[in-house]
Amino acid sequence: MKTPVASWVTTLRAQGAGAFAAAGLPRADQDGWRHTPLPPDLMTRFGAGVAPLDVTYAGPEGLVHKLMDCYTGAVPALEWLEGLQSRPARGPLWALANAHLRDGVAVDIPEGAALDVPLVLTLTGHDGQFLMTRTAIHLGPGARATIIEHHRGAGSYWNNRLSQIVVGQGAHLTHIRFQGNSTDAVYTQTTAVEVSGGGTYEAFNFVTGAALSRLELHVDLLAPGAAARAHGLSLLRGSQLADHTTTIAHRARGCESAQHLGFILDRAARGVYQGRVRVEPGADGTDAQQRSRAVLLSDQARMATQPELEIFADDVQCAHGATCGALEGSALFYLRARGVPEAQARALLLQGFAAEVLAEVADADTRAAMEERVTTWLSAA
Amino acid sequence: MLHIDNLHAAVDGKAILNGLTLHVPKGQVHAVMGPNGSGKSTLAYVLAGRPGYEVTDGTAALDGQNILAMEPEERAAAGLFLAFQYPVEVPGVGFMTFLKTAINAQRAARGEEPMPALDLLKSIRKASRALGIGDDMLGRAVNAGFSGGEKKRAEVLQMALLGPRCAILDETDSGLDVDALKTVADGVNALRSPDRAFLIITHYQRLLDHIVPDRVHVLSQGRIARSGGPDLAQEVEAQGYGAA
Repeated sequence: MKTPVASWVTTLRAQGAGAFAAAGLPRADQDGWRHTPLPPDLMTRFGAGVAPLDVTYAGPEGLVHKLMDCYTGAVPALEWLEGLQSRPARGPLWALANAHLRDGVAVDIPEGAALDVPLVLTLTGHDGQFLMTRTAIHLGPGARATIIEHHRGAGSYWNNRLSQIVVGQGAHLTHIRFQGNSTDAVYTQTTAVEVSGGGTYEAFNFVTGAALSRLELHVDLLAPGAAARAHGLSLLRGSQLADHTTTIAHRARGCESAQHLGFILDRAARGVYQGRVRVEPGADGTDAQQRSRAVLLSDQARMATQPELEIFADDVQCAHGATCGALEGSALFYLRARGVPEAQARALLLQGFAAEVLAEVADADTRAAMEERVTTWLSAA
Repeated sequence: MLHIDNLHAAVDGKAILNGLTLHVPKGQVHAVMGPNGSGKSTLAYVLAGRPGYEVTDGTAALDGQNILAMEPEERAAAGLFLAFQYPVEVPGVGFMTFLKTAINAQRAARGEEPMPALDLLKSIRKASRALGIGDDMLGRAVNAGFSGGEKKRAEVLQMALLGPRCAILDETDSGLDVDALKTVADGVNALRSPDRAFLIITHYQRLLDHIVPDRVHVLSQGRIARSGGPDLAQEVEAQGYGAA
């Protein structure tokens, strides 16, 4: 006999199903989706039934729970879970995730805990699967943790993923994601983060996978001194598309946000960066930086960059810079004039480009792992 | 060693070099002086093989090998070195990594084994010290955030480590104060040898007070207008290019 789930879970599912039925999949003529056309047959191809989640976990014991165990009461209730998961859905993919609210993990880092080893989650997709994976992460006041996610898989599948994160007062979350899904997969990820006063959310997305990926990030900086850093490096070739869409809301004074996105695009690959920064009334002393840079290695590669600032406060520092182009010809000649063969010189320049973005990664081991992946990716050209 | 004969070259379809002939025997230092627009930097870039610089006639040979048919990296491996007037910033690529890559690429092109890492490190350290280049500079990205003087010293360091047969210095004196000029000149003088040739391209005579040339050539409208001994540099300095 199945154990019944909590009633709020049933309610959320029904609401999600209703909202998604009304809205349907985002279409390319809708705001925010112009550059990222989802395959229109996604639901018919994959929507029939949700596959069970293939996830492994390594790291400290007792902090990670299966969501289903939380819903059925198999583990003691996490007092923050219902409130967090019941937040209003932002968009149809979120509603769809709610409709299938079931599998996933809850990560509970208690007040003051400082983890000295990272929590590592590995999620694997398999051919033909429709995955609805869910993560709820809560850091109590003053807690410190690093969460590393590995996304991988083989064959053609669709993973629609929703992560909700709370960073408590003065807490610090480092959130590293290696998006190495199968290059036949569709990966849609929505992440919503709430950062309390003096807290920091520090994310880096390292993207080499999926035919199409949409990494949508919503950050609310709720109280003075909250900070968000959302950086990423995407290495794409073939007809891969990676979309980084972010909305960072500065809702209190003295908050900081920084984004540094790098793209290396080969063949007919496409990169998308849509970065919205919203400075709400009273959020004086805001510092918001956005930087996106793309190297296009072929005439067919495309980059779409759209920074957006909505400022309703005084005394704010907001800056954005975007560059996009081929490899620097003068640098290439400089290396060749020193005897470095052209192909090697190109690889070195691309490694240099990547290194500048990876400099945002504070942890040396993580950075080294990423540098190694850059080298592997370049040598597979 | 370096034989340039009747060299014609164009940039964007515009003829810049118009029949330039110049021979630099090994062991000698030749200076090419000339006003702005006379084709000095074009000569340097054409010899190094910069894309966009089109040779329309003539020949250039290093040790009897036609360099104009080679890729830039092949010219470097054959022993040609260009010290850039404006050394290029290479973001994200460490100066040390760059030096190792260049040294070992040239060795590979000559069929030699890569230099053992420790030997490489030692020789880089030694050559750096002689030019007053500290570890902090070696730890930075190539030319990124280097001052004008640091960039020029970094060029001389590369020259010292790569040990070319023939070095071309393109306006190495530009942007240097007197002390930096002396450091750079000392670095170059230390590399003078009976087996090596230098071509020093400069607008002003002051660099030639420190690096005394065997011959001086005045470039005008894309060809050598006059040649002479070291005195010619003083004459040009005193009377200007109009009189030369």
